[in-house]
Amino acid sequence: MKTELQERSCGTTMPWQWCNLRRNPFGELTRAERAQLAVVDIQGIVQQVSQDHTAVQFIGDCGRGKTTRMLALAHAMADASYVYLPEDGPCPSIAVGRPILIDEAQRLPRKVGKAVFASGLPLVLATHRDLSRSLRRFGYSVDTQSIGAANTPELICKLLNRRVEASRREPDVAVPRLSLHDATVLVRKFGSDVRSMESYLYDVVQSQSFVSLGLDHGQMRFVD
Amino acid sequence: MAKCDLSIELDDPQALHAGGSTISGVVRVRVDKNVETKGLVVTSGWATHGRGNVTSGVFNSKTLFTGEWRSGDTPEYRFELPVGSWPPSYHGNYLNIDHNITAQAKIAWAFDPKASQTFLMRPTGGPESAAWKDPAASSNKLGCVLFSIFSIVFCVVFFGGMIAAGGPSIVFLAIAIVPLLVGLGYGFKVLLPRYLLGNVECSLSPNQVSPGEEVKGELVFKPRKTVSINAIKLTFQASERVVSGSGSNRKTHTNVFFEKEQTLVGETTLQPGQEKRVPLAVQLPGDAPYSVDLTDNDLIWNVLIRIDIPRWPDWTKNIAIAVVPSGKPMQPAAASAGTVAEATSQAVSPVGQEAEVSPSGITFTETAQHFWELRNDRESVMELAGAVSGLTFDIDAFVERRLLYSGDDDPHVFKDGYAVWAHFTEPPLPMVLYVPHDLADEFEQIGRDLWKGRGTIVGWDAQHRRLQIKLENSAVI
Repeated sequence: MKTELQERSCGTTMPWQWCNLRRNPFGELTRAERAQLAVVDIQGIVQQVSQDHTAVQFIGDCGRGKTTRMLALAHAMADASYVYLPEDGPCPSIAVGRPILIDEAQRLPRKVGKAVFASGLPLVLATHRDLSRSLRRFGYSVDTQSIGAANTPELICKLLNRRVEASRREPDVAVPRLSLHDATVLVRKFGSDVRSMESYLYDVVQSQSFVSLGLDHGQMRFVD
Repeated sequence: MAKCDLSIELDDPQALHAGGSTISGVVRVRVDKNVETKGLVVTSGWATHGRGNVTSGVFNSKTLFTGEWRSGDTPEYRFELPVGSWPPSYHGNYLNIDHNITAQAKIAWAFDPKASQTFLMRPTGGPESAAWKDPAASSNKLGCVLFSIFSIVFCVVFFGGMIAAGGPSIVFLAIAIVPLLVGLGYGFKVLLPRYLLGNVECSLSPNQVSPGEEVKGELVFKPRKTVSINAIKLTFQASERVVSGSGSNRKTHTNVFFEKEQTLVGETTLQPGQEKRVPLAVQLPGDAPYSVDLTDNDLIWNVLIRIDIPRWPDWTKNIAIAVVPSGKPMQPAAASAGTVAEATSQAVSPVGQEAEVSPSGITFTETAQHFWELRNDRESVMELAGAVSGLTFDIDAFVERRLLYSGDDDPHVFKDGYAVWAHFTEPPLPMVLYVPHDLADEFEQIGRDLWKGRGTIVGWDAQHRRLQIKLENSAVI
């Protein structure tokens, strides 16, 4: 019998082979993957920001899907430019784009914000603070969208299953699926906070690595 | 819908492949509609997955086919690629490393169909001792240096300011609180244990070992006072330390997956002036996973030694140990460092006479290729940038977009000029081009087309992973 250390480094099987997955679906993703897996209706926003002096701002708490929306928009719009403003350190370069997508826009330094708003280019901002007054001062028409309220069990079920699907190993073999009941339990537990749900699911799924027998009919368990 | 689907079948998918060996298989294409591919590229590489940010690397790639596929075709292409020799396959709680073969068909104006198969790799060599740094030791030294500098600067500013202000004021006293707390912390952790125990020498060697081997050392000290201790303990542990997110969402996750504690000395009273020598020995498990140091994804082995003093701050020391493969040395994990050395040596040795050759002999294509291969290894790419900085080349670049703001701290931006993002032709290395004022019109007209001209490498933009190039005024389209 293999020890836990042997399993880590010298195993001849993959931890998720038993359920046809190549990784824990709820781990970190690359930006490109996050954009591809987003369950977001972006067509409306794409039309909204087709002209100069138009801005859409997403306001919501952490983990509700602001960045995912921004990445999905950046992925879908070839002319868009995306920038994330870090909490510390200097403001990164901001490229011209149609639209310019600014994540954590409440951190825009006054001088840089002025330069961006004065450009008149269409903007999509993810922010914790309402920036509509500043935008209107520069002649923008602003649409403010509150993010998180639409995170219903149906939506949660869809987006989490999309992550499972993206971790599929073999194309013609079934993968585990979250039920609507699972999603309802998660919403009851975490509200609209998708990031916390993913973190919780990571641990639950991780506890089932390298398992081939002993689970309920070989099914993966997502909620306790 | 994609015009074709790809799948990969490895010849021996269950095998544990040795680092540096080769892996073979077949790429199968199922064509639904007539389609022209600019290249069916198969790549051997690795990637992390788990709680930490994804880090990946590519070892080798080959183009298996270029041309047209017709609807209904099911062509197959055999491949054989070298297997990378580092990092090793690993499956833990927060950190996982998988080697993979990826096939991608490059198709214009459509999503590129892709397929991937993972396989297990076991290395036969590990990082060279020279390439491995003891993070604990370096951080301790750095901490001492920073503390000394901070203390000196603080004393000068604080007392100088107080004298200039004609005596102590509330403002100066308020300013004093922060460094006072820092000083108290340092004194509490370092000076108080030293007051009782004197200088404590602690060493372990070798600091680079293979699974199953033993690390030995000694703890030596001569107490200054009579001191009762609860115990001297050694904790040997292995942990995964990964970082997820960035900026304010950045979070470090640590998972200790192996821990063994030994009590070296039980409860006792030590007499002043009597030297105490405690032998240290740590036996690594035979199946210990190797130490890994990747961006945002580390596997760390370390030994923590603690002298537990009742009602007094404990003396502690953390020593990192590099667990490396026992096979014959093959300079693998130092692959990045090796590549830098190779790249920089090429940068100063003459090779051929091409249009884009710099005075030093290296072409821009070669330089770009090195940057492309190292772009995910921050330390190596900065080293390379330092080596080739100042070299001037003829450059072809596809312009991506102008920068609205390129940062106050960017010293390369010309007065009245601006910066653009662009990429080289092949490999598509991302670049920042600093455009002087007299080239501005030219760039406006080019839009997103190919620009040709001359420029000098001035650095590497680590934040955006782009080669920084300052353009010459005399550039020619």
